[in-house]
Amino acid sequence: MSENLQSRRSFITSILTLGAAGLSASIIYPIIKYLTPPKQREVEVTNVSAGKLNDMENDSYKIVRFGNKPVILIKTDKGDLKALSAQCTHLDCTVQYKKSEGVIWCACHNGKYDLNGRNISGPPPRPLDPYLVKIKGDEIFISKKV
Amino acid sequence: MKRRIMLAIPILIIYLIPLSAYGATDQCYTCHSALEDKESKLFAEDIHFKKGISCSGCHGGDNTTEDNDAAMNKEKGFIGVPKGNKITEVCARCHASEKMMKSFGSKLPVNQFDNLINSVHGKTSTAGGGRIVQCTTCHTAHGIKSVKDPLSPVYATNIPKTCSKCHADANYMRTYNPTLAVDQYTQYLTSVHGKLNSTGDPKPAQCASCHGSHDIKPVKDIKSKVYPVNLPYTCSGCHSNKEYMAQYKIPTDQFEKYARSVHGQALLVKNDPGAPACNSCHGNHGAAPPGIESISKVCGTCHALNEELFSASPHKAAFDRKGYPECETCHGNHEIITATNKLLGVDKDGVCIRCHGDQNSSGYKSAYIMRKLIDSLDETKQSAMILINEAEQKGMEITEAKFKLRDINQVKLEARTQVHTFDPAKFKDIVGKGLVISRDATADAKVAIHEYYFRRVGLGVSVFLISLLAFGLFLYLRRIEKK
Amino acid sequence: MKKYFAQTYKWIDERLDLTSLGHFIEKKYVPIHAHSIWYYFGGVSLFFFLIQVLTGILLLFYYKGSADLAFESIQFIMSKVQFGWLIRSIHAWAANLFILSVFIHMFSVFFEKSYRKPRELTWVTGVFLFFMTLAFGFSGYLLPWNKLAFFATKVGTDIAGNIPIIGDVMKGFLRGGDDVTGATLSRFFGFHVALFPGIFTILLVIHIIMVQRQGMSEPLDIESSPNAEKKSMPFFPNFMLRDLLLWLIVLNVLAILAVFFPADLGEKADPFSSAPAGIKPEWYFLFMFQTLKYIPAKIFIMDGELLGIVLFGLAGLLWVLVPFWDTQSSKGLRNRKINYIGLFAVAFIIVLTILGWIS
Repeated sequence: MSENLQSRRSFITSILTLGAAGLSASIIYPIIKYLTPPKQREVEVTNVSAGKLNDMENDSYKIVRFGNKPVILIKTDKGDLKALSAQCTHLDCTVQYKKSEGVIWCACHNGKYDLNGRNISGPPPRPLDPYLVKIKGDEIFISKKV
Repeated sequence: MKRRIMLAIPILIIYLIPLSAYGATDQCYTCHSALEDKESKLFAEDIHFKKGISCSGCHGGDNTTEDNDAAMNKEKGFIGVPKGNKITEVCARCHASEKMMKSFGSKLPVNQFDNLINSVHGKTSTAGGGRIVQCTTCHTAHGIKSVKDPLSPVYATNIPKTCSKCHADANYMRTYNPTLAVDQYTQYLTSVHGKLNSTGDPKPAQCASCHGSHDIKPVKDIKSKVYPVNLPYTCSGCHSNKEYMAQYKIPTDQFEKYARSVHGQALLVKNDPGAPACNSCHGNHGAAPPGIESISKVCGTCHALNEELFSASPHKAAFDRKGYPECETCHGNHEIITATNKLLGVDKDGVCIRCHGDQNSSGYKSAYIMRKLIDSLDETKQSAMILINEAEQKGMEITEAKFKLRDINQVKLEARTQVHTFDPAKFKDIVGKGLVISRDATADAKVAIHEYYFRRVGLGVSVFLISLLAFGLFLYLRRIEKK
Repeated sequence: MKKYFAQTYKWIDERLDLTSLGHFIEKKYVPIHAHSIWYYFGGVSLFFFLIQVLTGILLLFYYKGSADLAFESIQFIMSKVQFGWLIRSIHAWAANLFILSVFIHMFSVFFEKSYRKPRELTWVTGVFLFFMTLAFGFSGYLLPWNKLAFFATKVGTDIAGNIPIIGDVMKGFLRGGDDVTGATLSRFFGFHVALFPGIFTILLVIHIIMVQRQGMSEPLDIESSPNAEKKSMPFFPNFMLRDLLLWLIVLNVLAILAVFFPADLGEKADPFSSAPAGIKPEWYFLFMFQTLKYIPAKIFIMDGELLGIVLFGLAGLLWVLVPFWDTQSSKGLRNRKINYIGLFAVAFIIVLTILGWIS
């Protein structure tokens, strides 16, 4: 009888222990995960790393993701860095750097911008929005112009 | 009643003065014509003279006396030869007054003066002291004719010559706007309008038809009749008028069609001044339909890659040989609508089948393959989009996949450009790139959706453990309450 | 191990006299009778409040209370922050269930007439706590800054503006200006996370201390029956464990609701867009909203809506003061009128809520 009671007791204790552990885990795990800084730190992307400075040759470009938008990063033949929105202001095609002419070019309707983003020919109605380029060590950062 | 009489009195006086002065008592004209000077000779043909207006109407003074000193007495309002802005002010005394104009039985508008001073010509001239253009600049002074008079310098067929006196003079124009072209007149003479105009036909467009007359604004002024957004309406003023155009035997539905086109929608509905207006393809001063072999060049000013690819393709030579109007053959002219996949291919909406009807020809096969490829790209993109939307609706993190959607769009645009090589192999390379990206995006979205449902597994585990604890409590309670 | 516990207990006991607290808890008994089940709703409401405090604090880590970023920050919580969807969904669901459980708790107390002497003040604090939960609901609803919330707040504050004399001032105070704008959002954010929790906590502490001092109320007929027939159970551990058991079940329900029906976000508010058709407040305001709709625009010379607001105000006042005008219950006499009033109130709320829901 007492042995039976004993085993019943230990059964209940083990259920309670397991359950309590489960409850704590179910509460604590999501909270810890919640508090872990998310990949995108803040609501609005304000800063994006665009790779190493030395990985980019002079007179070349690359498209960098900035939140939901593409940004074109150009290293001019003199080694200056320029970052501009890569969305053509005409119909949102992604623009590219045309080495031979030294302009930013949109293949869709032959729109052209100079390296400061000013629309110089073709249908684009507005200049490309500029972004700020900052260099920290040898890493390039692009940030929103305020 | 009383008021009417009061009004009638001045009108009568105005009527009576010139009438009484006419001929018999107009001493200015009597003497000056006796002198046989140029002014009085010209004035004999002047519309104002014919309406009974004396020299003193503009120059002031007393036209009833033979005495020189009395007639040209400054105290009697004699102003001599008006200079600078005075010229226009003298004209405006009557031409800006409805009452005065009515008294001469004229129905001319009275806003010319206002229009002129607000126009580009109303600015101060380089010489200073007055506006660039005075009434007399175009209308001349003493031999002023009605606009309807073929001898008038502002008669339709004379206008181009009149305007070109300044506008074709590089030395003169440079003083105002060094970048402004001075070849408009030369260009105009090559245009369909100009050619007809020089045959003496007053109906085709001349300078004033498009730029306005007294109210001419710079092209960049949004009120200008030739500002891009306004231009199609200006051209359609004549070109959509069936009656007016009847004798030239050309269609009058261009505006209607253009307004429906992708270009017309962009310009007229979205107000995008970068979109092409009539002049972008036809030219402005040298307006004419582009020649069949130059169409791709004209379209290529904006659609550069398409033109390049087309010109390098076998179609260029074939079209030229057959006299097909290049781009227009497939896309139409005024009513160009956004090209869709439908255009490509061999079903009944496709344009390829019009020439490549033979199922065994390589043209037919190429068109068939290319259409299949672009359709498959669309399908994969569509399914990726649906999944991405679903994942987003479920609150999953899929910005990566959404960004890939942009790339697919980019590839699609590229592919649609590559159509103009008419080379299925090149086309397939591009489309293949897009297919890979959309497969990736689809996979991302599927992972996200899977993750969403996986939450339920986590929930199941938690609910089980919590229920277990509850059950344990229940057992424990029962035990302690049994005692 | 046990030795350390005993030592720690002794250390604290010497300083805080835990033993007398233990005696107090030991002596606390909960009556057992046919209506015992209603005792649990106070505890469940407390549990919801605790959940709201916890999840609310967590949400504060990522939420931004400005018109530019409020909507985006919730989007961010829902998609970018791990388990953010869970925290927000639990907060949203617990808010609704909290109000529901407070309704039940309040009406059970009303029908049991537990507000009678000596518990008048407990009732009064309780009704104020009820008003506070509604205020929590109203202010929290705007914080996601979505279209529905925006217009619901517009309508809600408009109604507040119709209150006689103080209406205009109150509307301006609530909105932080003439219209619902980012200023309103900042205000509501302040109310929701600072002012209201402060007031609520103070009222709640008073409410709970009074309940502890006075013990559990018994229904009239049980109170008057001889002591020998009365049954009871110790508060600790029996009743407390039962409470805990119920809390666990509630937690499970919450988790299931949050996973299967996560809180949605809708479209971002646009102050310049036109109001969507059929804008409705949250369900707990629906009966009042619906009543105001049914009242004709003019009754004699009075403005219909104004009359409605005045009537609801009076009803609220009477509700707070029940213990003072129901003198019979305090004397231990049956007062059937109270039951009829209560039944009418419940029926009224349910019927109009349903009417509002389906309209």
